[in-house]
Amino acid sequence: MASDGTIRQQARDWAVRTGDPAFVDWEAFTLWLEADPAHALAYDEVMTTVSDAADLLAAHPASGEVGSGTAAANDDADDVPMSALSRTGPVRRAWLGGAVAACLALVGALWMFQAERRDLYTLRTGAGETRSISLEAGTSVDIAGGTIITFDRRDRRFARLEEGQALFTVRHDAARPFEVMVGDERLVDVGTVFDVQRGEADALSVAVAEGAVQFDPEGANLRVSPGEMLHREGRGETLTLSKLPAAQVGEWREGRLTFDAAPLAVVADRLSRATGIDYAAAPGSGSASVSGSILIGPLRADPAAIGPLLGLSVRAEGRRWVIGSD
Amino acid sequence: MNAESSSAGLEAAFLQNREKLIRFLRARGAGEAAEDLVQEVWLKIAAARPGPVASPLAYLFRTADLLMIDRFRSTRQADARDRDWSEVHADDPPGVSAEPSPERRLSAAQEAQTVLALLDGLGSRVTRVFRRHRIDGVAQKAVAAELGVSLSTVEGDLRVAYRALEEWKERAK
Repeated sequence: MASDGTIRQQARDWAVRTGDPAFVDWEAFTLWLEADPAHALAYDEVMTTVSDAADLLAAHPASGEVGSGTAAANDDADDVPMSALSRTGPVRRAWLGGAVAACLALVGALWMFQAERRDLYTLRTGAGETRSISLEAGTSVDIAGGTIITFDRRDRRFARLEEGQALFTVRHDAARPFEVMVGDERLVDVGTVFDVQRGEADALSVAVAEGAVQFDPEGANLRVSPGEMLHREGRGETLTLSKLPAAQVGEWREGRLTFDAAPLAVVADRLSRATGIDYAAAPGSGSASVSGSILIGPLRADPAAIGPLLGLSVRAEGRRWVIGSD
Repeated sequence: MNAESSSAGLEAAFLQNREKLIRFLRARGAGEAAEDLVQEVWLKIAAARPGPVASPLAYLFRTADLLMIDRFRSTRQADARDRDWSEVHADDPPGVSAEPSPERRLSAAQEAQTVLALLDGLGSRVTRVFRRHRIDGVAQKAVAAELGVSLSTVEGDLRVAYRALEEWKERAK
């Protein structure tokens, strides 16, 4: 068994080697890791330390050094996956201190009080229909097809997405945060353009184009920043935060839909809501998934066009279009 | 249809090497979660939609490695947050937080100065190599060519830098 010092030195050697895009000897690296569980820990320590230092330097370039990065820096970009600095990955639930919890209990009471005085009304859009409404100056909501959404006549800074998808453009007012309920989850804007989706089994997605959104301030209390999407497959599932181009947020208003490894059932559901055409996933296509970006306009004329667009098989069953994974 | 064929190539490589990746993730400390994490590796790749990839297998391993580093880092950071959460955020209004305070930003800038001084103390080439490789993302071979030194010199500089940074981290604890 190697001593601590030796392990650290070996970990450092591996860190230097694996950090290079040209490194290919992953099997030898696996063997080293398997030799002793302490190896993985030592390696993580080195990599984390180095990334922390690199982050610090990148965030605070010293004067005169700002221009050190050049176009050549991107030579290897194609071969390098998103860096370890990105925030993609499972998000850990934040723990709240006693003082904060007490303070939030008070807010909760206030919230209940307000809720009693709500004067709610519900809007529905048919499949294939979209609608844009203005709640107050500077604040509007674009509602996607097949959506049910509730507003409050007394409080124009409140909305509840029951089903479907909507893009919120919100004028920020620190004194009166705009609040969106998605099922039981609460989102609070921090000055914002953001898109919210609610799917089957309490699945939800929140994508932010501008500003920021605070998700579940009393619980997870996660901040979703521009170019990020918070996603949950269903009730009780892990929250993941991933990157997406900010321009992709709300693109459905221009008739575009983008899928990232989306299950066929989700693809069929979103296509149906957006077009008003009845799409369904083929039985047994459970784990198959699809990635791609499409314009839905042409589908209205030819529903079967979805096949070549996303590399799917399509067959008509009466008025329904069944999509399968080829 | 270059992009499509490359992602098909990656997918084939993923399916063929799934067991190897699981074994790697397990060795990296994933334990029971290795099977779930291998799915996450694929989701990350699908989301990143990489262009043509020269070595699909290395790309898969690298993605898996970065995923594990991310997990380790976020656990670390969450632990640190938990420690000072109540003192720092007790006065925040609910729903508004997470922005570093001016004091914090200042101390990060000072910390950056410390790191820079530390690397500079090892010689200006070490700083340059560290910067080009770790911040600008330039491959080691290209950094070597740029500075007119051998690849093993670049590797040596990085080892020296990493070692000094580990000591810096030790002191900060």
